Amino acid sequence: MEIEISSLDDTLARFTLSGTSPAFANAFRRAMIGEVPTLAIENVRIYDNTSAFFDEMLAHRLGLIPIKTDLSTYSTKEKCSCGGAGCPGCMVTFTLSVEGPKTVLSSDLIPQDPHATPVYDNIPIVKLTKGQKLVIEAHAILNTGREHAKWQPTLVCGFKNHPVVSISEACDACGMCVDECPRGILAVKGKKVEVVDGKLPECSMCKLCERACLASGIGDESAITITAEADRYIFVVESDGSLPVKEIMDRALQYIRDQADELERQLGEIAGDEKK
Amino acid sequence: MIPVRCFTCGKPISTAWEEFKQRREKGEDPKKILDDLNISRYCCRRMLLTHKEIIDELNPYQ
Repeated sequence: MEIEISSLDDTLARFTLSGTSPAFANAFRRAMIGEVPTLAIENVRIYDNTSAFFDEMLAHRLGLIPIKTDLSTYSTKEKCSCGGAGCPGCMVTFTLSVEGPKTVLSSDLIPQDPHATPVYDNIPIVKLTKGQKLVIEAHAILNTGREHAKWQPTLVCGFKNHPVVSISEACDACGMCVDECPRGILAVKGKKVEVVDGKLPECSMCKLCERACLASGIGDESAITITAEADRYIFVVESDGSLPVKEIMDRALQYIRDQADELERQLGEIAGDEKK
Repeated sequence: MIPVRCFTCGKPISTAWEEFKQRREKGEDPKKILDDLNISRYCCRRMLLTHKEIIDELNPYQ
């Protein structure tokens, strides 16, 4: 199995994964979406709310704010030494106290841990007019996207098979397929059609070029054929900012490894029991 | 108020609202503003394009 990264920064990664089954590629995708924990506001205590919003709507909006997460300092409530009661090891408390006229922003949330701040400080929460007041205490906890989408670290996270464009000797460079391709990945070069350098991963395998080729009257068989490479996948992973993409990938792979180890251990246990 | 995140993909788009609103009021083409703000997917673009702010109409009723 090989990962070849074509671009990587904190919020977006594009890479190809090769030499593996579709099942593993999908397991990797699902682990990145649903098994990597992040912080998100879960419980909100409302002391004063005279804004136009209902308490529930405020709590909902607060929950969706992405929070910078340091996974080495926080653990999930179930695994925490406090036993789920809520302590600085598994929970971040935010306080917010604003009086109108003002638009309440995510920067008005004051965290107890200065590292666990909202990713963006200009997310509007509610607009207050003169005399309106908002006093809130919010608790953010660590959980996974499996529980609720607000804990998902990824935005776009998907893969497709690597496309293969093969152009046979029958090609007469009529250019019909070049005009037809919606992504502009083909070009006429000399007496043949070729794929533009570096544009191959953009092919969506729509096969419009094949149809255009047949329509050009070339015969019964298209000179251009699009197929998918069976064990090579193009991944796109985008982070919401709570974790860098690289850490999302690392944690997802670690999760798959832990699960595989656990399966092996349990199988061993069953086999061991039978021997006794 | 503008939704915090895009309904479809989850990208936090509310951060772009203030700039989008101001520039659109000045008569700039929304397409260009969205491109400038790096909002590339059509799910996120519709969030800003189709949003109607009604908080000021609600505010008198607490």
